[in-house]
Amino acid sequence: MAKYLKVAALLVGAGLIAAAALADPLPPDATYRPLPTLPLDAVKALDEAQKPQVMQRQHALLEQRYDLSNRPIANVLMSGGRKPVQGGVRVKLPAGATWDGLAAMSPDEIRERELLPAGFMPLPHVKQATGGQVFPNEQIDEIRRQEGRNIRRFDVDLDLPEQFTPEFPPPIFLTSHPELGDVSRGQLLTIKNYYQLMIGFITPVQMEGLRLLLTPFPQEEFNQTEDRKSADQSLGVSCLDCHSNFHTNAAIHQTPDVRPQAARFRLDTVSLRGMFNQQIHGSKRSLRSVEDFTQFEQRTAYFNGDHVSAQRKGVNLPDRVDQVPMMAQMQNIIDFPPAPKLDALARLDPSRATQQELAGEQIFLGKGQCAQCHVPQTSFLDNNMHDLKLERFYNVGQTVNGLVELPDGPIKTFTLRGIKDSPPYMHDGRLLTLADTVEFFNLVLGLKLTQQEKDSLVAYMLTL
Amino acid sequence: MRLLTIVLTATALVSPAAFGQSTNPATPAPGNPGGMPPGTTQAAPGVPAPHQTNQADRTFIRAAVTSGLAEVEFARLAEQRGANGSVKEFAHRMVSDHGAANDKLSALAKASGVPVPDQLDQEQKAMRAELEQSSGGQFDRAYIQGQIINHQQTAQLLTYQIGSGENAELKDFASDLLPTILTHLRIAQAIASEIAHQAQAEVPPKEIPRERR
Repeated sequence: MAKYLKVAALLVGAGLIAAAALADPLPPDATYRPLPTLPLDAVKALDEAQKPQVMQRQHALLEQRYDLSNRPIANVLMSGGRKPVQGGVRVKLPAGATWDGLAAMSPDEIRERELLPAGFMPLPHVKQATGGQVFPNEQIDEIRRQEGRNIRRFDVDLDLPEQFTPEFPPPIFLTSHPELGDVSRGQLLTIKNYYQLMIGFITPVQMEGLRLLLTPFPQEEFNQTEDRKSADQSLGVSCLDCHSNFHTNAAIHQTPDVRPQAARFRLDTVSLRGMFNQQIHGSKRSLRSVEDFTQFEQRTAYFNGDHVSAQRKGVNLPDRVDQVPMMAQMQNIIDFPPAPKLDALARLDPSRATQQELAGEQIFLGKGQCAQCHVPQTSFLDNNMHDLKLERFYNVGQTVNGLVELPDGPIKTFTLRGIKDSPPYMHDGRLLTLADTVEFFNLVLGLKLTQQEKDSLVAYMLTL
Repeated sequence: MRLLTIVLTATALVSPAAFGQSTNPATPAPGNPGGMPPGTTQAAPGVPAPHQTNQADRTFIRAAVTSGLAEVEFARLAEQRGANGSVKEFAHRMVSDHGAANDKLSALAKASGVPVPDQLDQEQKAMRAELEQSSGGQFDRAYIQGQIINHQQTAQLLTYQIGSGENAELKDFASDLLPTILTHLRIAQAIASEIAHQAQAEVPPKEIPRERR
């Protein structure tokens, strides 16, 4: 008994000794955003001069990782009926490696021999040190045209080739009117047209929620202070500037949940379709209702989790009791796109599906292990976060274009309903096509799928 | 400007391990010009000329140098006083890895005209005193716990430098060192676990009294 106590005391004592003798803490700007040191006109001139090199550097990285050619799948269009879906595996293999060869190796071997394809590893922001929201050209141009508001940055543009982004503007499907189909009329909803388009279709609280979702508010890069990346003193950005028509336009930012800056992984914009069935929100933050998320995004996507910087730049904090629920109510009536081959239980109807699609469903439910997390009966998600532990396959800590490649940690399961409409895939958009996602999970989960099984999984996912 | 673009592109495309795990081009990623100190000489727009430092660089040098000195000193103590074989082996590695890193860092600091501290800070001195007074299993546990904490802090410090520094050589130094530091951390965690299991094995299992009904 005495010996037990003595050992326990030594263990505790050792911990206390070490804890008391820390070196100096890290500097404050490892957590808090530092104030700028140069005036805006100087920063703007430098950023503009640097921009071609910045874009070229990121483009070179994309070229090294992926096959960026335009290769649509025949006879498949996104739900708006206008844009093709890119096909084929785009992640490039290391010299001499094959997919089957990699599948046969252990994670340790892949890590030691550095054979994990670079395209599977975390994808950096276009300009990691600066970060922030970056919008695609389609969104920038349309907002400019309708509102006269400029959401182009003078330091970066979006890096993704246009064929790997969702169709624009995306269709809108309402749970309150499934019979109407796409109610967008081929237009992007903005503060200038939402009322004429939606009057008579939605309720007053939904209309007010929509208005708030379309109203621009100050944001880290788009504001009126000297610390901004917009040429004009900007009114800011609106929620639907990334979530165009309640879907996604592939705009990017960085996770607000990580510091220091070089460790902050990139985030692709998620679709807001099907929020009514989702119980955790934010890829890492696990906010438990869309109301919480809507309220807190002003602190996070807008201001990087820095309420101090937010205060300086004029953050808008929507009223939690009244405004936030109305915004949530509007988000909760956005439906997934139609999936005519799925029955009421989210299973393929054999009378409508092809043999290949049915085979894909069997893999999805069985050997592929997909349904463990992407549960068909609950909108192909499980309202859980999972850690895929990709770091088994690569040596952590390397820096790639300013991003330190660290383990992703647990990330929210993403819905697969309507998945063909929202490339690129994974929380950071590192996987450009559905075929890439199949190769990724084949390796990460050790499934050893055949090529036929992989192809049928893609065919199945196109029906969702 | 165009020539620079071509040179940088060429450098990026011929970088080694083009398809393997690291696609890091030869130069560090560009920083946010908003944070550049006024009066910084530039090699190209937004690219500071060599041997200049911003506040983050200088903060990094100060913290990394003292941390590195402490690493080597504590490791030398552990080589002598450590009881467990893994601890002594780990300490030996710390002496060589951190010794090499210290030399590199001091040279870079000197090249940029930044004075480097030559002593441990207050807390590190206190830790050294504690270690000098411990021995055997107690020393091992204190040393390894301290190593875990120090490597956690160093990993964050290096990441901070990569994101906030402006001096290209210091940023490259930090990028190169970080994977090694994370490896050290993993080994230290494994040794701590090993030591804890050994300590537990020394204790006879305690009998749990049966619940009285």
